Formats: sequence, C-alpha cells, structure tokens
Amino acid sequence: MFTLAQGRVVRDTISGYLFLAPFFVLYCILKLWPIVNGFWISLHHWETIGTNISFLGLGNYQRILQDRLFWEAVQHTLYFTALSTPTLIIGGLCLALILNQPLFSGGVFRTLYYLPNVLSTPVIGLIFLAVLGASDAGLVNVFLGHLGISPISFLLDAGWAMPSIAFAALWWTVGFNMLIFLAGLQGIPEEVNDAARVDGAGDWQRFWRITLPLLRRPLMLVTVLQVISSFQVFGLIDVMTKGGPGGQTRSIVYYIFERSFMQYQLGYGSAIAFILFVVLFVLSITQLRLFSQEEDVI
Amino acid sequence: MKTLQSVRGTSLPTTVALRGKPLNWRHYVVILLFCGFTLLWMLPATWSLVTSFRYETDIQRDLIGFSPFPFTTTHYERILGDGLVARWFLNSLVVASTRVVIQLTLCSLAAFAFTRIPFKGKRIAYILVLIGIMVPFEAILIPIYLFFADLHLHNTYIALIAPEVASPLAVFLLTQFFQEIPSELDEAAYLDGASRLTVYRRVILPLAGPVLTTLAIFTFLSTWNEYLWPLVSSTNRDALTMTIGLRKLAETFGHQTRDLGLKMAGAWVGGIPILIFYFIFQRRIVSGIKLTSGFR
Repeated sequence: MFTLAQGRVVRDTISGYLFLAPFFVLYCILKLWPIVNGFWISLHHWETIGTNISFLGLGNYQRILQDRLFWEAVQHTLYFTALSTPTLIIGGLCLALILNQPLFSGGVFRTLYYLPNVLSTPVIGLIFLAVLGASDAGLVNVFLGHLGISPISFLLDAGWAMPSIAFAALWWTVGFNMLIFLAGLQGIPEEVNDAARVDGAGDWQRFWRITLPLLRRPLMLVTVLQVISSFQVFGLIDVMTKGGPGGQTRSIVYYIFERSFMQYQLGYGSAIAFILFVVLFVLSITQLRLFSQEEDVI
Repeated sequence: MKTLQSVRGTSLPTTVALRGKPLNWRHYVVILLFCGFTLLWMLPATWSLVTSFRYETDIQRDLIGFSPFPFTTTHYERILGDGLVARWFLNSLVVASTRVVIQLTLCSLAAFAFTRIPFKGKRIAYILVLIGIMVPFEAILIPIYLFFADLHLHNTYIALIAPEVASPLAVFLLTQFFQEIPSELDEAAYLDGASRLTVYRRVILPLAGPVLTTLAIFTFLSTWNEYLWPLVSSTNRDALTMTIGLRKLAETFGHQTRDLGLKMAGAWVGGIPILIFYFIFQRRIVSGIKLTSGFR
C-alpha cells in the first residue's frame, strides 16, 4: 500500500514521463542513438546501404591519418576559417560601431546589412557566381576591365577560389555579427562614455579603453560561433566550386559528403565525421560556458 | 558586475547627441561616404535583381546595365511556368510549417515536464538534452541517412521533416522561459481542479506566446534554408525543397554567362518569398537573434 505522499510521487513521475516521452523518444531515435551508431559505422568498411559491410576496428581512423586528401581538407578548412573569422568579426564590429552613431540610428541600414542573412545558400551562391563570374566575365571583372586590370577567373583559379568563397560568406553573414555587436554596444551605458569624455578621453581612447573591453563577451561569443560555423563550411563550396579547382576548396564537410554520398564509403565518411564531431563538441562546450557567463552579466 | 547592473538599471535611453545641433559639413561627408559604401555593398543584390528583368541579348551585349528597361518578365515566366518550381515551393512550405508545429508541441511539452513536474531521472534527461545542443548535424548525418534508407522514407515529407523535430535547443530555450513564469499561476489553476494538461494548455502556453512565436519563425527560416539534409535525402526532382531545387539551377550554371537572366530570376524566385517573410516578422527576428544567438 502506498502512503498518500508516495502515491503523489508515483503520479508525478508518471505524468512527468508522459509529458517528456513524445520529445524524448524521438530525441533518442533521431539524435542520441545516431551519435553512437555513427561511431559504430565508423568502425566498419561500410558501403552504401547494407552491402559489403565488414568490421575494421580502428582501421578507418588509421587510414585517415595517412590520407593526404583529408589533411588537405583540414588545411583548406583552417584557411577558410582564417580568412572568414577575422573579416566577419572586424566587419561586423565596424558596421555596429557606425550604425550605433546617432547619424545612422534609423533601422534602414541595419535592415540592409542584415538582409542577405535570411537568403538561402544557393541564392547567395547563384548571385556570387554571377558577380565573380563565369571564367572572365562577371560583375567584378567588368569593373576591373574599366580600371585596365585583366580579368581574373576567381572561381577557377587555385589562389582566388577560397578567398572568393570567404568573401561571399562575409557578404552573406556579416549582418548577423553586426546585430550581436549592436546589442552589446547598446548595453553600454551612455554615462560611462560621458564620464570618459569629461576626463578628456578622445574617440580612439574611448574605443580601446571602454568600448572594446565592455564588448569582451559578445566578441568571444561571436568568435567561437564563427569558428564553429567556419569548420562546417559546406553549402557555398558545394554551390560555387564543388571543391574545385583541383580540390583547392575541398573542406572537411565537403570531403565527408564526397566520400559518403558520391563514393558511397559510409564507414570512412563516418570516421571523418566523428573526428569533426569531437572537435566541434569541444568548441561548443567553450561556447556553452561563455553563454552561461553571458547570462550573469546582462 | 553589481555596479554595472545598477548603472544600467537607472540609465536613460541613449541620448541623441545630434539632436538640436545643426549638421556640419563633416557629418555630410561621413553620411555620403557611408551611403556610397552601402550602395556598393548592396550591388550584388541590386545588380542581380535588375539583371533578372533584362533581356538575354541586352545582358550579353552589356553585362552591367542598371536600367531595367527594356523590361521583361520572360525569365520569371519560364521559371514559374515550369511546374517544378511551384512544387518545390509547396514542398518547402509543407516541410517547414509541419516541422514548426510538431517541434513546438513536443518541445514545449518536454519543457513543461522539466520545469513543472518533479520526477525521477529529470536531471539526467536534462543533461542529455544539453549534450544534444552541442552535436553538429554532420555527426549524425550518415546514421540518420541509413536509418531513413532502411525505412524506405527518403524522398518523402517524413524524412525531410523528422530530423530536428526533437530539437534540444528549443527545449532548452523553452525551459529557460517557462522557469520565469511564476508557479503561483499554476498553483491557482490546480486549486480550481485543473489537470496538468489544462495548466499546460491554458496557463503556460498562452504566457509563452512571444517566445513560441519567435522560435516558430526561426525554425521555419532555418528549415526553409536547410541545405545538407535535404540534399542527401531528396533526390527525386519532385521531392526537392526550394533550396535544393535552386542548387540544381546553380549546378547548370557551369562557369558560363549564358542564360544569366534566367539564373538570376531563379535566385530571386528563391529569395523574394523569404525576404517577404523577413519583412513581416522583422521585429521578432531581431529579438530572436538575441534569444538563440548563444547556440546558433
């Protein structure tokens, strides 16, 4: 026999599980189990669907260590990260600083710079295929032609392809960072700036001594977010270069995609994906910690 | 921290330094420069939009033309006249809105359990949810792909909708929000004899309206723009989403300038609906960025 209190505990537990179940069952099937399963698949030679499966142990991981294409993909991804992260942060910060001025406080500029963000990858890709062009035509090359500079095949040139994609990424997403920084700037009390002004601090000094230190958290947050999403770069590459020219823009995720869905080496693809997962997981934990600290301040 | 908070609490709305003062020539130079830069920055968008309304012969003769005259809508007619684009549009609409409804229902029920019902194993369940937030989709892409392949569900709405339906981020955000709702409100309802389900539907959900709307908009937008999953899951021409359908269009682009007007029209057929969506929900999107930015 249950006492009244025990009965209540049981009832609570049952209704708790009932409320949680619809979400949690699907969550286990579609998220938690696949993580484990993904690792399991990565231990196999696993081709397409159910055919030709054999256990390899850590064989795929050993193969990765010696895979030249994998290490190149890592390099390309790091190169993209090095190109896109600083430009996106500095660009977003500059825009936020400008738009935070009373002169530009209207929402028009903010909307204009944020707008590209809502467009999908192929829309951006299509636009930039046309802007950078088509072997030697394209909007930019027409301008260069007027300046007397011979046309550049941005997307077909090994040196230009990745910077071109990084530029498209900048155009696409800089508005997002701008909004985060703008929110941060608006959180800085006017009194702090006024006080500094009274003390004779110039604009430059106020930026370095007040604005930047107070923006430390949004800056760190944006940096981590940016690194995480740069590590996952895929869509723009898929639309604009398909990893080319000569594999020069093949990123890690693009390599996973190629191995798994073009060459049907699902086991090998899973192993690369698992390595990426571990790296991103560590980065995300950093992000989570930053985010929870963020809560305390605001 | 404490002092900063108290300062912030008392701070007046940011004063407009320029108010009352006449603008001097330096202001005009700055305004002009920044406007010029903005116009230049927006050029890819404006130029491609104008191009999509120009005749192919005009484009070939002169790539940069900013006059939309002579004006033509042939490119748009060709793209929309092909029933496929309408089909892709419909697919995206169905997939995105169904996912929004299911995701918000499941996740708000779970958040209700986490904030309102004491039960065994709650902590562990919640930690598992937090872990899920940090799992990138690439990590589960292949197992999920095989899972739906085994069920023969690729190229169906179910496969497009189901992943991300159980979104840990949504549960996390809703849990945070539900915690702020004072529990006195539901206590009162329970005293009136309400059941848990009634409290969830009549007390919590109405109060969570704003956060639910914001989440709905974000889920809709991110589902509409989703790339990797529909790319591997849907391969039949009829089963593509708008986003992946456009990718097909980009694929035929090659590296040629031929049919540029048509391609730009394609880009904007994909772009314009989402821009309209943005303008309708602009305010919520901007406030929602702050809500979700920690985890995007």
